[in-house]
Amino acid sequence: MKKEYIRSVLSIFASSPFKPLCMHANKGGDCVRKLSEAVHAFCEGDMEKVNLLNAEIDVIEHEADVIKQTIRGELSSSIMLPVHATDLLNFLKPQDSISDDAQEASYWLTLRRFDASPEIRAGFRELMARTLATVEHYEKLVDTLSELLESSFSKRDVEDTLALVMEVEEMEHQVDVIEKELMRTVFRSEDVLGGVGVFHLSRLVMNIGSIADKAEHAADRLRTMILRR
Amino acid sequence: MDLFNPLVIFLIIAGLYMAWNIGANDLANAMGTSVGSGALSIKQVIIVAGFFEFAGAVFFGKKVTSTIAKGIVPIDSISLIDNHLVAVGMLAAILAAGFWITLATFYNLPVSTTHSIVGAVLGFGLIAAYNGIIGLSDIHWEVLLKIVSSWLISPVLGAILAYVIFSLIRYFILQKTDDPYKIENKFVSLQIATACYIAFAHGSNDVANAVGPLYASLNALDLVGLSIPVWIMVLGGLGMVFGLATWGYRVIETIGTKITELTPTRGFSAEFATASVVVLHSYISLPISTTHTLVGSVIGVGLAGGLAAVDLSVIGKIALSWIVTVPVAALTSALMFIGLMGVGI
Repeated sequence: MKKEYIRSVLSIFASSPFKPLCMHANKGGDCVRKLSEAVHAFCEGDMEKVNLLNAEIDVIEHEADVIKQTIRGELSSSIMLPVHATDLLNFLKPQDSISDDAQEASYWLTLRRFDASPEIRAGFRELMARTLATVEHYEKLVDTLSELLESSFSKRDVEDTLALVMEVEEMEHQVDVIEKELMRTVFRSEDVLGGVGVFHLSRLVMNIGSIADKAEHAADRLRTMILRR
Repeated sequence: MDLFNPLVIFLIIAGLYMAWNIGANDLANAMGTSVGSGALSIKQVIIVAGFFEFAGAVFFGKKVTSTIAKGIVPIDSISLIDNHLVAVGMLAAILAAGFWITLATFYNLPVSTTHSIVGAVLGFGLIAAYNGIIGLSDIHWEVLLKIVSSWLISPVLGAILAYVIFSLIRYFILQKTDDPYKIENKFVSLQIATACYIAFAHGSNDVANAVGPLYASLNALDLVGLSIPVWIMVLGGLGMVFGLATWGYRVIETIGTKITELTPTRGFSAEFATASVVVLHSYISLPISTTHTLVGSVIGVGLAGGLAAVDLSVIGKIALSWIVTVPVAALTSALMFIGLMGVGI
């Protein structure tokens, strides 16, 4: 910064980690939205589009990493927040895994062409749709942080946020159910898919399912952060 | 000796320079929070601050001024021996404080003008004692002790008061509303009132830093009487407003654009607490730093959970500036005094 003829108390105001936290959650959401497009393209056999989207997800994931590093870098020990800094960092970590896992799943999509029954195809579409819905609900949850800060954690706002946490948890549970069902179907189709096919698709099922797990995990940590204030 | 004596003119110019510095930086800091929360535009802030700073200085600034002028060093006993010494000593004090403030501002250090002028006046007292003009015990150490402890107490008091005010707003208003943004809008008008209050408070306490030594010398030279004439306070008020208008607006711009976290409810709490603490100290004649009190108040709002992020490392910097400023200003002032006497002023 250029030296100006200024004596000020400006440095008492540290930059808020909460806005970048929301941005970071949205980057995760963007990754999963792209992944959803990629899964649809994958089911239609459009590998060109899958590769294209994979490259886009790589870029967004990197942007999310940069935001994460900025948040961590600015949280020195002298910064006082309305929540515990360790809780905030504990919640940032699973949130960051959302984009990581989306990137991993997208990468697996590029490795092998899809060649399976309409039943499995429909299963993937549903698993993806539910996972995306869970992550988007999670984004909504993180968005409530700004209102929480504004009202300085009013009881009503805290209750609203905690209700959203429960909803994310419920949605993740539904993803789990679909995930298990789809996994069973994939293994039942060994004759058609072949061993490598089963291995590929089962990894995909796990990867997509784990995205919802991470959103649920992050939501759980967010609750801890709010309640332990 | 009359008012157009070179020494007197020098004193007035030095006092105005000090006032300019106070207006350009300290007043700007106090007012910047109103701009940051969007309660007032920069132009409006300058008009409000100009009016109320002036009012505070002229109508409520005399007590602290007389503390700076005569409370620390027994000016009257020195002027009985040699009134010229007092004038030169006070000129040295303003120059030393002004020099230290200028240096600190160039390096963006959070140094207080109050601490500088108190240190500088003390420096004159010490050199006078060293030269045997007064005894070391003639310096009003008990007043100095009171002043220094008020420097520790005032930010803490600001923090406590801001904590209480914001907690009340939070409990009774923010937590009972569906739409906190609407509440913030309502606090905008209240914050205009606190902006006036803080400008008044600042004027009442900080004008002394500029005109305290000036009054002491003019009084010693028998140019003004025992009660501080209004024109001296007007001079200080004008100097500060001039500083705000010619440079302070830039400081406000810099601060205002960066403090977006301080929404009207938070800004109101911090400003009201700061202004109340400062006015209280003006009332009991103690010179304190408005800026440091404001820092305490902001921390208080942060402790009440009102701010997204507060950087406490500022406390360390402020503590360091306390420890350094008083001895450095005292030493510089003493050296300036020797220098001025040496060249025969």
